[in-house]
Amino acid sequence: MELFKKTLSPVAAMAIIAVLNIFLFQIVGAWTVGGGETMMTGLIAQMVMGDSLSRIPFWNVAFPPDPGYWKIYISLGMLFGAVVGAVLSKEFNWHMPHRLSEWVMITIGGLLMGIGIRLAFVCNVSTFYGLTPEMNLGGYLAISGILAGAWVGTWIYKKSLEG
Amino acid sequence: MNNVIAQCLTAFVFGSVVGLLVQRSRYCNVAALRDAMLFKTYRNTKALLVAMMILTMGFTAFITVGAGKPLHFDVGLNTFVGLFLFGIGMVLAGACTVSTWVKAGEGNVGAIWALLFTFIGMFLFSLLWSFTYWPPAPSTMTGNFNLAGLQLGFANAATLQEKTKIPAVVFGAIQTLVLYGLYRAILRRERAGAGADTQADSESAACNAWTDNDKVVPQGAARVTAEQST
Repeated sequence: MELFKKTLSPVAAMAIIAVLNIFLFQIVGAWTVGGGETMMTGLIAQMVMGDSLSRIPFWNVAFPPDPGYWKIYISLGMLFGAVVGAVLSKEFNWHMPHRLSEWVMITIGGLLMGIGIRLAFVCNVSTFYGLTPEMNLGGYLAISGILAGAWVGTWIYKKSLEG
Repeated sequence: MNNVIAQCLTAFVFGSVVGLLVQRSRYCNVAALRDAMLFKTYRNTKALLVAMMILTMGFTAFITVGAGKPLHFDVGLNTFVGLFLFGIGMVLAGACTVSTWVKAGEGNVGAIWALLFTFIGMFLFSLLWSFTYWPPAPSTMTGNFNLAGLQLGFANAATLQEKTKIPAVVFGAIQTLVLYGLYRAILRRERAGAGADTQADSESAACNAWTDNDKVVPQGAARVTAEQST
């Protein structure tokens, strides 16, 4: 199949995703990832900690773990779709960062993403493909934040390349 | 219960299509911002803008007639600061919430590591929140300005329509025009910037920021980007 031989135009891919997202907006709500990841965190923590998780107020008040939370399945679907795409296009292969500095950057980056999502209640997907197209005030705040953050991150990244 | 299963199934099907299309197009939200700032290349930025234009018109059209399920929670200082931290994190990790899942699906261990630490970051924040109770939990949000909670309240295209009596889609059209203006400015910059060589560098920088599987060999900093990306 041609789809698995050539790289698709990102403009075409994102245009298709945007149209599907409009249907999703009608059915369950706009595309989001951070909420599902938070619920997965809660479910994993519940598996590890058992009932003692309920002693942490966040998991009682703000995000009680619930495997029926639909946003989880968007992330699982993305993983599934990517595996299918990578396998059928023969692009699947296990590979990992080589340098210690890369592992450090990825670790710090991952932590900051997790903290940032929970602090803001939104991730980059909700920012660009949910809040801002809904003209939510939060979308403009979030875009200002992510642009400033990306600029600082790029500066750090550039310095690390030069160093 | 059936409703829950239907919602989860819908979400899974949508996610699967997204995962497939993002994997096949090598689209990356991080590259949309980072490459524009660092390399002045806009392969992914243009895709981001096109998606936002379509969504703005679609969402505001449905909001105009009272349809759709918009996000509904108060926003404030935490929204800006949270995404500021997220923006730094995604550039350092070389992946955002979408590309961590997609790259993980391609067998990228760095992306799986980033995902693991995103979960750990969320759990650490849940501990902190359990002491501060800030930002306010959705169940305690009022929708109004709240200085003590550093919250501006809630406002979107629907509230704009309600207050001004002008259909939300009109505001959506204005926002779409602004986004289109940005898109045109990028096209002009690309044309002025020199054609073939710039475009080739753009493609290779963006693609190699995505995966090491690409056969295109970038130059200079773009090569380092590829090596450092998850």
